[in-house]
Amino acid sequence: MRALGYSFRLGWSGIRQSGGSGAFAVLAITLAMIVLGTLLLLTWNGERLLARWSSAAEFSVYLRDDATSEERGAIETMIDQSGVGLSREYVSKADALAHFRREFAELATLAASFDDNPFPASVEVRLKPEAEADGRAAGLVRRLASAAGVADVGYDREWLGRVAATLQTVRAAGLALAALMALAAVVTVATVVRLNLHARRNEIEIMELVGAPLAFIRGPFVAEGFLQGGIGALVALVLLWMGFALVGEWWGTSIRAMLGGDGIEFLPVRLLVFLLAGGMLVGGAGGFAAARHAG
Amino acid sequence: MIEAHHLSKMYSRGLYALHDLSLSVKKGEFVFLTGPSGAGKSTFLRLLLMQERPTSGELIVNGQNLATLRRREVQEYRRNIGFIFQDFKLIHSRTLLENVSFVAEVIGVPAPQQRRRAFQVLKWVGLQHRMNAYPATLSGGEQQRIAIARALVNNPSMVLADEPTGNLDPDLSLEIMNLLREVNAAGTTVVVATHDRELIRLVGRRTVTLDQGKVVEVA
Repeated sequence: MRALGYSFRLGWSGIRQSGGSGAFAVLAITLAMIVLGTLLLLTWNGERLLARWSSAAEFSVYLRDDATSEERGAIETMIDQSGVGLSREYVSKADALAHFRREFAELATLAASFDDNPFPASVEVRLKPEAEADGRAAGLVRRLASAAGVADVGYDREWLGRVAATLQTVRAAGLALAALMALAAVVTVATVVRLNLHARRNEIEIMELVGAPLAFIRGPFVAEGFLQGGIGALVALVLLWMGFALVGEWWGTSIRAMLGGDGIEFLPVRLLVFLLAGGMLVGGAGGFAAARHAG
Repeated sequence: MIEAHHLSKMYSRGLYALHDLSLSVKKGEFVFLTGPSGAGKSTFLRLLLMQERPTSGELIVNGQNLATLRRREVQEYRRNIGFIFQDFKLIHSRTLLENVSFVAEVIGVPAPQQRRRAFQVLKWVGLQHRMNAYPATLSGGEQQRIAIARALVNNPSMVLADEPTGNLDPDLSLEIMNLLREVNAAGTTVVVATHDRELIRLVGRRTVTLDQGKVVEVA
């Protein structure tokens, strides 16, 4: 514990004495953490929205205009007996038209020009999440598609797969970039700490000669890197939050509209702690690399 | 206390700093090592401080063969040695009190005791009134007194001094030697490497003369 207190006290003093070079090391970590933070912000929001969209899965069974009430009854029975639906709702042709008029008010003139109601009646089915995962939903959709009185079944899940794949690519590319920048930050911190180590070589020699434990000799340099990492990560988090707030201010409405009413959220506390710890780890690694030359 | 048996230290190109040197220093003894430049005085002290390892031979201190010590044990061994160098080796960014107390701090002495011990040794060398000053504001003699205080703060059983008066005038040199005599009188073994024959004559202790890495005279 004494070595820890001593190391952090001297590490902090090392940062204060390092001036411009210390600020450069902090900047390197800040940049690396901004890249990692942005990546986390994108992927975390992406996964969150994907999970919500997946859990809100549903399909529409469009009925032929000439479908009889018996055929409709048979379709509803098929859905109920499959056990995949959370709920189902019949939407008549008139309801569908009313829905269109409500949702697309700006197209009122178009809707008014219809001679005949072009919208089909449908049965809207909300799925249980597990039914989608175990493939029962897909099986039901196939059976319904060939049932009497059915014009079409709207069940497009491919786009969710495409979003997931895009997210995966973004995550991989972002991680590679963040790792590269973290490595650059480690090298920068190591170089800066080594400069400080060089300036204190007299002190290190004396510490060795008086029999100081290695933790006292190397500890301050590891602590210096660790603190630089912590400061860098903290600055990155503040900048990230400011950036997030600005994006929300400028494009929040457009983003919500694009995402179907869902907004993006800032990172949760556990990921903020992860970023902070990551910065400290990167800085500590740089400090450790440099400290190997002491003692 | 110190037993050197057939000790040799060879540097590159077959150049010997010490060659088959055998020497013994008793516990509580005050010994001068003297001889011309390159005689091996400083090398012997460096081997004792374990800054270097001998090429051959044995060096035994307090019954411990130094060749067998591992890194951690080397640090523990050094805690029992006080060292004084010609260039003082003080930390210029720290006050005199900090220069002395940090030696106690890094070996785990609790904070209140560090300051108390440091103050006691500063008082002993007569510089307690300047404890908050920085080394650069001190004269050479005062800086060496701080180095002595630092060497003594952990109550070592042995003090090694390499040309401790090399940068000082004769009066200050004698003052430093008197301090070392007092240290020795308290039971601490003192080994001083110096080429100052006049100082040796004034202090009058056992003197081992080295030349080309060998003991040539013991007086």
